[in-house]
Amino acid sequence: MIFSKKKITTAYTVEKCTKCGTLTKRKFHDGDVLFTKSTKCNSCDGLTRIEKIFGETIEQ
Amino acid sequence: MNFTNFDFDQLFSMSDDTNPLMMLVWILPIILFVFYGQQIQLFVTSREIKKGIAKLDSFREESRTELINYLKNNLKVKDDHLKKIDKFLDYFTIMPVDMDPNGIVDKVQHTVRSREDYTRTHVKSMSLEMSDIELTKVQTLLEIASSLQMIYKIINHMFLTAKKQNNYPLILPLQMILPFIMEQAEAMKDAIPAFKSGQPVGDGIGPMVVGKMMLEHQKENIAFQTSLSQIDFEGRKLFLLKAEGPGSTVGRPADALETITMKNKIDAIIMVDAALKMEGEDSATTAQGFGAAIGGIGTERFQIEAIATSKKIPIFSIVIKQSVKEAITLMTKEIADTAEDVRAQVFEMIHENTSQGQSVLIIGVGNTAGVPQ
Repeated sequence: MIFSKKKITTAYTVEKCTKCGTLTKRKFHDGDVLFTKSTKCNSCDGLTRIEKIFGETIEQ
Repeated sequence: MNFTNFDFDQLFSMSDDTNPLMMLVWILPIILFVFYGQQIQLFVTSREIKKGIAKLDSFREESRTELINYLKNNLKVKDDHLKKIDKFLDYFTIMPVDMDPNGIVDKVQHTVRSREDYTRTHVKSMSLEMSDIELTKVQTLLEIASSLQMIYKIINHMFLTAKKQNNYPLILPLQMILPFIMEQAEAMKDAIPAFKSGQPVGDGIGPMVVGKMMLEHQKENIAFQTSLSQIDFEGRKLFLLKAEGPGSTVGRPADALETITMKNKIDAIIMVDAALKMEGEDSATTAQGFGAAIGGIGTERFQIEAIATSKKIPIFSIVIKQSVKEAITLMTKEIADTAEDVRAQVFEMIHENTSQGQSVLIIGVGNTAGVPQ
């Protein structure tokens, strides 16, 4: 047990622009729900939709 | 007698000039192990099991605290909520008698649904402003806390009984089963943050695949907490079914199937679900097969199989492999990344197994927490 590393999982949200298809990955915010229209796209004037919500685990 | 003049050659010899100290070195442990071997093993094993039980106790306490904090911080609960929660945590379910198995599935379903209905009504009565989504979250958290409490109680009972009777053979199965129990318990404890935040879990990959196909289409409530959309796809009629998200529920796909097949002729059923991977298998790999891919206590599967058999509807399945922990904790990137591929597999399956003019029912099976439609 003394050699086991601590694992930390961080939740991420991936948004996809419905117009240009640009993918943006950011940290998960409370209230994020899959497939909901989220923010304005940084590349064009389209709206982004939440495509994925997932966790990534790193060992410390 | 000089006890210090032994040499190592004498250690393995049993001749007349053997050092008496050496004889003791051999004989004492033999006597000790012959008469007290079981007790020594019991002592060593007990220490390991005690550590596990202490962990289970902390998980039980932690899950209860998380549930209470969630209720306090997110919902205006009435003053008697602590008493009610502790009462819920101790609820048990007595499964029906199976000496005569005829009709057992209906009995099990009735018992389980009665419990669900009772819990739902009483959890809702704890707060006037509890929405249906919040209600499913609290119910799931309650199920986790209740399961952890039950696991702790059973393991502790088995351990204390074995200790009380100094019974090593009784403690052996406990020692063997404990790693599996700990894996399940740890997974349940780790599932709490995802359900609290309304994030999708690994088991939600089926609803995620079908939910995206349902977007921008009209939905109807076909059964309790179950949503249906009808779309056209290359000359075929697709019935898309999943539990109603983004609440934490698995819906009632079997009841929905019954209603759909009463009004429509279905030519094929495709089920998409998460499945437990075998050790050595990679997570997030997909596999195709036949038969109803749905977990749980078996009543839903029984009902689906019965309807499909009576109407002669073939059932095809696509499963996404994952571990117990991955299935009930926040969805991993690998699993989320398979969604597009699985959707492509569903369309390929429709092409391969149906022709134009036919109808296909696609069911996204699993917990739909954080996955709307």
